[in-house]
Amino acid sequence: MSTKTKSKTTYQIPVGPIHPALKEPVMFEFELDGEKIVDVDVSLGHVHRGIEWTGMRRNPVQVLYLAERICGICSYCHPMAFALATERVAGIQVPERAEYLRVIHAELERICSHVLWAGVAAHEIGFDSVLFLTWQIREKALDLTEYLTGNRVTKAITMIGGVRRDITTDMHSTINEGLQFIKDNFEKLRRVYLDDKTFRMRSQDVGILTKEDALKLCAAGPTTRASGVRKDVRLDQPYFAFGDLDFDYVTPDVLTGEVNGDVYDRIVVRLLEVKQSVELIEQCIKQMPEGEIVAEPKVAKLLASLKKIKGEGIGRMEAPRGEVIHYVKYIEHEFPYSWKVRAPTYNNILPWIPMLLGEQIADIPIVAASTDPCMSCTNRVAIVDGGKRYQLNHEDLHKLSVEKTRRLMK
Amino acid sequence: MAKGLPKSFKKALWVYHINSGSCNGCDIEIVASLCPRYDVERFGIKLVGSPRHADALLTTGPVTRQMADKVKRAYEQMPDPKAVICVGNCGNTGDVFYESYNLVGPIDNIIPVDIHVAGCPPRPEAIIMAVAKAWTKLETLEAKK
Amino acid sequence: MTKQLTPKEIVQSFTDTFKTKIKNPRIETHAAGSKPTEFIHIWMNVDKSIFKEAVKHLTTLENYPHLAVASGYEWENTIELVYHFSIYFGERCKEISLNMTVVLPKSKPEIDSICDIIPGALITEQEKQEMLGVTVKGIPKDKRAFVSDDFPKGMYPWRKDETGASGKMVRNLHEGDK
Repeated sequence: MSTKTKSKTTYQIPVGPIHPALKEPVMFEFELDGEKIVDVDVSLGHVHRGIEWTGMRRNPVQVLYLAERICGICSYCHPMAFALATERVAGIQVPERAEYLRVIHAELERICSHVLWAGVAAHEIGFDSVLFLTWQIREKALDLTEYLTGNRVTKAITMIGGVRRDITTDMHSTINEGLQFIKDNFEKLRRVYLDDKTFRMRSQDVGILTKEDALKLCAAGPTTRASGVRKDVRLDQPYFAFGDLDFDYVTPDVLTGEVNGDVYDRIVVRLLEVKQSVELIEQCIKQMPEGEIVAEPKVAKLLASLKKIKGEGIGRMEAPRGEVIHYVKYIEHEFPYSWKVRAPTYNNILPWIPMLLGEQIADIPIVAASTDPCMSCTNRVAIVDGGKRYQLNHEDLHKLSVEKTRRLMK
Repeated sequence: MAKGLPKSFKKALWVYHINSGSCNGCDIEIVASLCPRYDVERFGIKLVGSPRHADALLTTGPVTRQMADKVKRAYEQMPDPKAVICVGNCGNTGDVFYESYNLVGPIDNIIPVDIHVAGCPPRPEAIIMAVAKAWTKLETLEAKK
Repeated sequence: MTKQLTPKEIVQSFTDTFKTKIKNPRIETHAAGSKPTEFIHIWMNVDKSIFKEAVKHLTTLENYPHLAVASGYEWENTIELVYHFSIYFGERCKEISLNMTVVLPKSKPEIDSICDIIPGALITEQEKQEMLGVTVKGIPKDKRAFVSDDFPKGMYPWRKDETGASGKMVRNLHEGDK
């Protein structure tokens, strides 16, 4: 083992939904030995609000609202996973119509999240106008969300045993209009992200995650599917009404015919998933049966019955970023005894090491952003190995990334 | 804007945003207000990368223990006259995080706040109105001198 | 591709290999949707002395089992960790969740690290160390994952006893500072 010098190179990189000056409380510390990155040190905690501790002091319905604010972008998945876990412990049978409604909201959130990410990725590469274009498309999807649930971001549509609002037949025409808008613009997005020469140069063969690494490090979501691993909770262990719908795993070879596991493949997977989500919502609207939307409409009665349950359960679902899992243990008490939340980004941090080995500094923002890390689900990451130490702030790093793009464009 | 105020601000309002541990909901709405639909940039309001260039500070989130110091330093680095806008219920009163072992908020405890924007998250229209009010306040302060 | 066993056969393979060190195995069947589609959750209590071998045994059923997370809580005089694995992903409706509960005495909460078998377990093991006070023997990187470095040592937020977060560390935000 060669002697390592004591000093380290540290780069501060904000990762997440950012605009030129938005600072996420995330720090990425690189320690380089020459140009090589050797190790990753995970240090989380800037956004640590003690949610699990708080959740053990609230009743299940209050925990739903707490869970929603774990993350603003995946604000639907966390309360839903908690509701799934609780329903399995309590043996609550969710009505069929509610299962289909849950699918519609889940897929709508997936569309909003992937389009948001697409804008951020474009910004990291240096195309700010693409950021505005994609977020304009996202506004239409948000309008649809507001129409169905009442709010753009924290929707509060979950209830243990079903959903809180129904979708009536007179709403179908607005939904179809919104979906048509997304379908019409999908071709535009595809051309910009997949056909543009500069995009390809910045994203192909960059940040490669091999299939074996993805399996060993238990990566989840589009990050692992882009490496060719067929892992999707909607298909592996169907929840809601996904077992009745017709769709398949999305891996890059569906579109391009080959699997490289680089940033380009992750873009491909996410864009294909947007298309798949639109198709799933259309299937749901056609197939949705009539019926109740919640198992027990009176909340007080629901809480009284939840006070008597005992047991443990897990709820897993496929958030836009990967697998979300909640574990709950009840002991015939008003509050849950134990609650564990695991957001998908936790599992997607360790894959950053193999992805960044040997990469250029200017590629760090796009590679890290390609795993779509959610900053409130996770926090600060420090990458450590032997080498020199100096600080590059966010502006410099972003500038490096943009300059590389301009060079390639000539 | 308010009529009859001298135009002491030669340029439009530059804003620095800091996230002190929020769920990102408010941050997304802040970025959404820059996008073509709400387009706050047509007023010349833009986000800058350093507090030393900023006139107003936008904060989100209940302040976690790790971020308290950073928020304070950002505030101190801003040149006078400055305004602080707290976006979202978390920083105002704690919202659902009212009791925790890792939070030192509400943000009033760390830095003085001029404008509170309520909502979880507040709509982009509310955020733009808050920035406009901050602008008016700063103009009024300049006029008094 | 290793042959897929039925849930009963999976439990059988564990009890055959480890005999009495596996307690309370139960197979839960849940259903969702209109068809309805069914899926299986398996739960079992694994003795801590053979926990690492049990995880190795799991790799014979599935080359790369997926570790979602390890939850944990304290219960009277013990600390119980629940590891959530899943196997047989990749084909529609075939995945089975396998949850292993390991009981550790509060006087000596130690467990072996499984990072050499499943490298992806690092973060969740670090979290158990700081949240519950468990010592993970052989963990490749010993550092705090979530709480800040200046959080008092010996205070474990998930515990409900005297080492839990309490007193001055807990603030009620909407009470004014007096």
